[in-house]
Amino acid sequence: MKFRIRLPYLLLAPSIIVLLALILYPLGFALRNSFWFWNLQTSPMPLYHSGLDNYRMVFQVTPFTEALKNTVLLAGIGVFAQFWFGMGIALLLYTHLRGMGLFRALLIMPTTLAPVVAGFLFRYLLEPKGGVLTWLLQGIGFPVPPQGFLGNANTALFTIGVVDTWQWTPFFAIVLYAGLLSISEEVLEAALVDGATRWRLFWSISLPLLRPIAAFLVMIRFMQLFNSFDLVYVLTSGGPGTASRTLSFNLYREGLVNYNIGLTAAMTWLVAIIVSIIINLYLFFIYRKREW
Amino acid sequence: MRAPTRSGKILVYALMALVMIFFLGPILWFILLAFRHPSDAYNLPPEFIFEPDLGNFITTFVDPGNNAIQLVNSVVVSTGATLLSLPFALSAAYALSRFAMRGKEFIMNWYISLLIAPPIVFVIPYFILMSWIGWAGSYQAMILTLQTLAIPFSVWLLKSFMDEVPLDLEEAAWVDGANRFAAFYRIIIPLALPGIIVTSMFTFVFSWNNVLFPLVLSKQSTTTLPVGTISFFASTGIYWGHLAATAVVAMLPPMLIFLVLGRYVVRGLTFGAVKG
Repeated sequence: MKFRIRLPYLLLAPSIIVLLALILYPLGFALRNSFWFWNLQTSPMPLYHSGLDNYRMVFQVTPFTEALKNTVLLAGIGVFAQFWFGMGIALLLYTHLRGMGLFRALLIMPTTLAPVVAGFLFRYLLEPKGGVLTWLLQGIGFPVPPQGFLGNANTALFTIGVVDTWQWTPFFAIVLYAGLLSISEEVLEAALVDGATRWRLFWSISLPLLRPIAAFLVMIRFMQLFNSFDLVYVLTSGGPGTASRTLSFNLYREGLVNYNIGLTAAMTWLVAIIVSIIINLYLFFIYRKREW
Repeated sequence: MRAPTRSGKILVYALMALVMIFFLGPILWFILLAFRHPSDAYNLPPEFIFEPDLGNFITTFVDPGNNAIQLVNSVVVSTGATLLSLPFALSAAYALSRFAMRGKEFIMNWYISLLIAPPIVFVIPYFILMSWIGWAGSYQAMILTLQTLAIPFSVWLLKSFMDEVPLDLEEAAWVDGANRFAAFYRIIIPLALPGIIVTSMFTFVFSWNNVLFPLVLSKQSTTTLPVGTISFFASTGIYWGHLAATAVVAMLPPMLIFLVLGRYVVRGLTFGAVKG
């Protein structure tokens, strides 16, 4: 009997041990280094104990608060746009007209791309001279900045959001469509018979029933976009200046370009704390009652 | 649902056409770029009809073919990461699917919190660690660290497939005298096999498309194809033709796998949480 109680934990143990080792090591390593001065360009080992200097420097030397603001803006606005565009497309698919199956299979293609590839697609389209999208937009009289959308401080971050939205709207569309399919048609028909308009049907029945799926998708995507590195790296490298720098890119710059390991370690912990607050708040409010 | 009217149908198709142009157009345009002569990359107004030129593919994959080895590396790293994650994920998914236990919800959430944690936080310490233990630039460094994503993902997706194998079948095997392990190998594995294959294919794609780990942990001879595309960023400008040729080869396997997976795509992308 005792064995039967322990068996599931024994089965879980290998994966948990490997994962804990892969997580705790970096976090512990970073925690220790965050109190040391250590630049890899000058020394292969930490040089001296520097107290909380690294934590102060994160705010003084790197544009940390700007990066945090950019990251939250990018993730918030991006996910909002992806969700509603995706919902619109899901409703188009839900008409079940002929050919929608094929559309759905092809629609997901942007989501299959590596984010770096998606980034290159749009860098090419948005080249200030010779980019087709730039050319098209200029053609219809849209004001394209002379440095291009990616080279302009006011539009760079927004453009990263547009590219991510291009890549991930299909994901929302096909998953929300699957969610719409799982809603019983009888309920919808009954409401129609009772005189509800389609608009009312969507807001009062479909949308509330999609809530659990929507909450899950929004959480996953918000965090993926919050962490996004590849796309930023390829599209703007955080530029121009620091106009589109995100937290992940800020970490990369300090750690793997400037090799300032101590400062990076302090920033790692600040980011880890911010991320765990977001995740836990989310789990607390949305998933309190959900059984997997 | 009630069928839309004729004008409603036309409106839906018109909107759908716009949607497809918006989402597929950029991909097609980039594929065309790979077949253009490098000097034609910026021709405006855009040319849709031109004589295809294989020069970009030949330069990148055949002669001198610097990117061919990256294709091999991508296969090695993605396959390695997938295979390594399977035994860990299979046993954990079986436990979560078949046993009532305290803290199950917490454990499931713990796995998913790893999937949505920022990988950049881990990768910088890995970079230093790997050079200390002499694994800098090695395949195993990438394969091992990719497990932070591969294992949690596979656990979730595999659990959703194992939940669908009826418990009755397993219990019948126990009655016939099979122990848990025998029942696992003879009942669960064969019946969940489609799920295991689907999970492996997704893990492969996600490892294939991962850029951060190979970017930081590989060296020139072990780097993967998506990272290879970045190398065409030169200070003198971007070699669009070569870049497009490598990017097109890099995007093909994920696209084909998604087309093959068809109805499982929703499930895979939501880690099994939405059945689709």
